[in-house]
Amino acid sequence: MALDENATDQPESSTTQATAGSGEAAGPATGPAAGENKDDNSQFECNICLDVARDAVISMCGHLFCWPCLHQWLDTRPTRQVCPVCKSSISREKVIPLYGRGGEQTDPRDKAPPRPQGQRTEPPQFGGFPGFNWGGDGAAGGGGGGAGGVQFSFGIGAFPFTMFASTLNFGVGDRRPGAPAAGTRQHDEEQFISKVFIWIAVLFMVWLLLA
Amino acid sequence: MSNIAFQRLQREFKEVITNAEIAQTGIRLDTSDDTLTKLKGEIKGPPDSPYEGGTFKLDIIIPDNYPFHPPKVSFETKIWHPNISSQTGTICLDILKDQWAASLTLRTVLLSVQSLLAAPEPSDPQDAVVAKQCLTHPQMFTETARLWAQVCADAPGERNSQLYKKLTQLMDMGVGKESALSALSCNSWDVSKATEHLFS
Ligand SMILES: [Zn+2]
Ligand SMILES: [Zn+2]
Repeated sequence: MALDENATDQPESSTTQATAGSGEAAGPATGPAAGENKDDNSQFECNICLDVARDAVISMCGHLFCWPCLHQWLDTRPTRQVCPVCKSSISREKVIPLYGRGGEQTDPRDKAPPRPQGQRTEPPQFGGFPGFNWGGDGAAGGGGGGAGGVQFSFGIGAFPFTMFASTLNFGVGDRRPGAPAAGTRQHDEEQFISKVFIWIAVLFMVWLLLA
Repeated sequence: MSNIAFQRLQREFKEVITNAEIAQTGIRLDTSDDTLTKLKGEIKGPPDSPYEGGTFKLDIIIPDNYPFHPPKVSFETKIWHPNISSQTGTICLDILKDQWAASLTLRTVLLSVQSLLAAPEPSDPQDAVVAKQCLTHPQMFTETARLWAQVCADAPGERNSQLYKKLTQLMDMGVGKESALSALSCNSWDVSKATEHLFS
């Protein structure tokens, strides 16, 4: 509620009224009185317990909650997961934790699980096989424009090889310096690609012999 | 009651009691119970409604898992309204059921009940008799609801003499004020039908 009122950014105003963001440089020079200061804190109050939010998370619709409070709310109504304020759709995967300075010395959480992790999105990587657009997420069949160079379309062709490769389990050693660690996706992909090329070579030789 | 419920209720109380703006809306909150599980609410009948100026008392029961579950709110004061039982005071209001949200407070609940008085929804009734009257005889409904508010909730204004006469007629026979009102209202203000209903 308080959040809603303060959602719109106030342009530099000459009024002495204490508005959103009392700490901002654009605020009134006199500074808000003690009583108003307390009111200003209400914009950081959890919309469920009405206390200052601890282990704070924010929903995509911009509403602030304690994580334990929101977790209990979502737990209470598993079939109707809506924001308690604006009723927009909400889920535990789609809240963002807020990390303030020194925010961790709060009360230990009782029942609620720890807050969901903040998501770190890795920047896109170019390298490995130049021009080989290996989409990873089911992009077999060669998707959109790659980083440049030739593009291989491996959709149907690669499929049977995968079968062989995984069944026969070629033990291709991986002793290059700086090779990706075993178990990572990049490692698996590289393993797979090298197996595919070995099979192509084998089939090519068989074809040569038969021809 | 859980700790969060108790702390939150304390805050809500403070808000309703200290905020002058809230007092202007005719909403009050009271408790005789230190555990804050049983509360008394009070709302003023909204203007331009048959309930105008009446003082309606409400029973509020706070569940253990408040605010994750809604409070149980019912009318203690008798009221004639399609979405409120004229017998038990049970309220049919979506936010008190499946549309409850944890960010709603007792203040917003009481405000919602107050606006329900201003805007009855006979298509989704709690009291079928009232709802039927509201739809088929709106004039009689308004007069009945107003008289109930005047008799039960101290609403000001001149009482409908025709209806009030019938009410006193029954009360002179030894029938209680509220039972007489109910019997007459449920029988379209037909005195003989109402007495039959009461004494059969
Ligand atoms: Zn909270
Ligand atoms: Zn929201």
